[in-house]
Amino acid sequence: MALAGCGGSDGSGGASGPKAAAIAAKEASQPRRGGTIEYGHYQEPPCLVTTWVQTGYLTRQYLEQLITVDDKGKFLPWLADAWEISDDKKTYTFQLKRDVTFSNGEPFDSAAVKANFDNWFSTDPTRRNGYVAFHVEDHIDRIETPDDHTVVFRLKHPHHPFLSALSQYAFGFLAPSVIKKGPEEWCVRPVGTGPFVVEKWNRGSNVVLKRNPSYSSPPGDVENKGPAYVEGINWKFLKDNTARWGSLKSAESDVIYDVPGVNWAEANQRYEILQHVTGGRPSQLALAVDHEPFNDVRVRKAFQYASDRRKAVETVFQGAVPYNGNGALSTSSPEHVEELEDYYGHDPDKANQLLDEAGWTERNGDGTRTKRGKPLTVRIVYGAGSIISGDGAQFLQVVQDQANQVGFDVQLKPITTAEFFAGKGRQPGEYEIQPGYWVARSAEIFQVVWKPDAKVPDGTVIPNANNPSRFQEPEVWKLVRQADRTYDDAKRTALYQEVQRALVEKHAVTVGAYPLTVTLALGDNLTGIRLNASIGEPIFNDAYFVK
Amino acid sequence: MARRLGGAVFVLWATATFTFVVQLFMPGDRATMIINTQAGNLQSPSAEQLAALNARYGFDDSYLAQYVRYIGDLAQGDLGISYNQHQPVTEIIAAQIGPTIVLTLSALVLAWLISLVVTVLATGRDNAWSRAATGFQIVTAALPPYWIGTIFLVVLSVQLGIFPVEGSNTLVGTILPAFTLAIPLSGFLGQITQDEFARVLDQPFVTSSRTRGIGDLGVRLKHVLRHAVLPAVTLSGWALGALFSGAVLIEVVFSRQGIGGVLVQATNGRDIPLVTGVMLASAAMYIVANLLVDIAYRFIDPRLKSA
Repeated sequence: MALAGCGGSDGSGGASGPKAAAIAAKEASQPRRGGTIEYGHYQEPPCLVTTWVQTGYLTRQYLEQLITVDDKGKFLPWLADAWEISDDKKTYTFQLKRDVTFSNGEPFDSAAVKANFDNWFSTDPTRRNGYVAFHVEDHIDRIETPDDHTVVFRLKHPHHPFLSALSQYAFGFLAPSVIKKGPEEWCVRPVGTGPFVVEKWNRGSNVVLKRNPSYSSPPGDVENKGPAYVEGINWKFLKDNTARWGSLKSAESDVIYDVPGVNWAEANQRYEILQHVTGGRPSQLALAVDHEPFNDVRVRKAFQYASDRRKAVETVFQGAVPYNGNGALSTSSPEHVEELEDYYGHDPDKANQLLDEAGWTERNGDGTRTKRGKPLTVRIVYGAGSIISGDGAQFLQVVQDQANQVGFDVQLKPITTAEFFAGKGRQPGEYEIQPGYWVARSAEIFQVVWKPDAKVPDGTVIPNANNPSRFQEPEVWKLVRQADRTYDDAKRTALYQEVQRALVEKHAVTVGAYPLTVTLALGDNLTGIRLNASIGEPIFNDAYFVK
Repeated sequence: MARRLGGAVFVLWATATFTFVVQLFMPGDRATMIINTQAGNLQSPSAEQLAALNARYGFDDSYLAQYVRYIGDLAQGDLGISYNQHQPVTEIIAAQIGPTIVLTLSALVLAWLISLVVTVLATGRDNAWSRAATGFQIVTAALPPYWIGTIFLVVLSVQLGIFPVEGSNTLVGTILPAFTLAIPLSGFLGQITQDEFARVLDQPFVTSSRTRGIGDLGVRLKHVLRHAVLPAVTLSGWALGALFSGAVLIEVVFSRQGIGGVLVQATNGRDIPLVTGVMLASAAMYIVANLLVDIAYRFIDPRLKSA
């Protein structure tokens, strides 16, 4: 869902302000060639091709996928110009565009597609693409290439989210010669078919992107069918909030990513804002159901009622990020159930009553409830600065404070990025609550998050690391798989909604907070930028300078 | 000289060994961490995937074998391949260390200039200017560089537009970050120099110079200063190191290229080869800085030339 945020006269700048004048000029303008976009981004990835969503914004500029999707959920051609699904839904056949070449001259053909998928499913961890694997590896039986321009995916079983998965950013294709050379090559010199070519990466500073002059494979969601209007993009990494915001104000950047919360009001008044609410699993608190106290559904519900999360999000983010009370799915995903947003309103009385019923009736000296002498302590273990931003940590503090008032003893345990990725504090039993998100376009994320733990033949269990609540109710998983195999839109949506109701209403395993957002603020001279409907990557094919 | 070189090698070896030992005690499985960092989210790696990575990086070998291999590679100048960036560590550091050295050296020179001007003009005069100078040094020595940098950025770049917001590695772009680092250090060096300067001013040879008819400023510059700077020169080796670590923060504020960003990213990603490389580069900076201090000493204090 892309919102053309607060454009025109509803911005508080008024119909005659500089913002309104700039937007009117943009609307009256025609595409012009020339100029280099100065783009102030935030995070710098360690490698120019990774499956981290922060890298996805960048790879969108040089790598392309089979298909894309619009904000109505309609799949559109990209490197494939047509596709067909067999009657048994187990064969997906894609016709590739002809005469497309990678920017180094290699042909884009079915062999290139196959080479990319083989690389993504590699057992070599430095090559493997975990994101792609989570989404499709379980479902693909084999990939066939009957001729240069046809790719056939034979699935093990019908899987409706297959197209939705292919439309996501992590499915962009590298040139086969680059794949052969390995990550040493693609991390610094990735080669794709995209509208821009990586000319140089000045680590710690910027990536210089140049227009691909022979570009010929525009996706279905852009208007410009040829090479980009602008000569290039200077993709700068401005990690400091003051510097990034200042760079837009001083016109050193034409567009910046992620307006800091404190500057949100001013940004809205002065600049054109593009915002995309990313789908999939929103930022939410996963409650660990595998041990006390959250193995009791009443305690889980009590925790949901204990805090005014809507108010907390409004206060902390000052409007820059919306509330997402349904923790099962982002508000922007098409299957999202709206009435679950406020299913657990702020109700301390109900929280107290539920905790009494659950037997947490005694209180210790600190006012914390106890049961058989054990205090009602819950540890929130979170990746500080990586998964949870500074603003997000403030949100957690509000929740902590309010939950403590009904007798919880909430302990915040920030974990550094390094330790977080090393798995510190995140093994089963080491936490009661783990906040997190998982981007996707829609409810296809359920089969990633709620997949039960795997058992390998020798009997060892590999826990599904994407399911920190450890909730593995077979009936919910059955619903997810049933929905994934249902091709009737109304029936499938109903099933996905049933899953959300089970997760939120019945089992209360996820506490909603806020979705991931992509926000761009544009200077007065630049227009035509789009945010992709899937993950919100900025698209510059149509971008041009007004004068 | 040979002893000095031996000392330098010892410091480098100790740094390398220390970094190696520390990483062994960090929590979590290294192979899992590398897989998670590369994916950007938690993975459930299979035994097969972990085995492939352990074999590639030799994590299965005994600690002693890993240590011997590591030191052996190091002796040949091979710092290994970064886990997350997939590039040789020496190349990554070589590309980034230039702007950091430029920044730290400019800051050191600026800090000296500011502190000397204030000291020579103000010390030992019992007037408002002198008291203001002392106050200036106390206040600046206490200012955190991160705060100064942010204020500079907001006022001089964003509001007034005098300097660029994005500190490119140009001369103009280096001015604000260099001043940001130099100001607190100038206060610190100034306080030390001023104490010494005041002490030397009372020495008999100063009085005798004055009786020979040399003007006040001449006495201060020609005779007193040479004595007064010695303690601060000694501290400059340390100061260069402090500037180097201060640069880590300031480079982010001014969006500069440099070793700071590399270190932050490497530490966050637990990129051991890269962290080790940056540590060794810092140790090497320290060694060079202290060597320069020794040389400077010989110029300032001729007595040391014969020693």
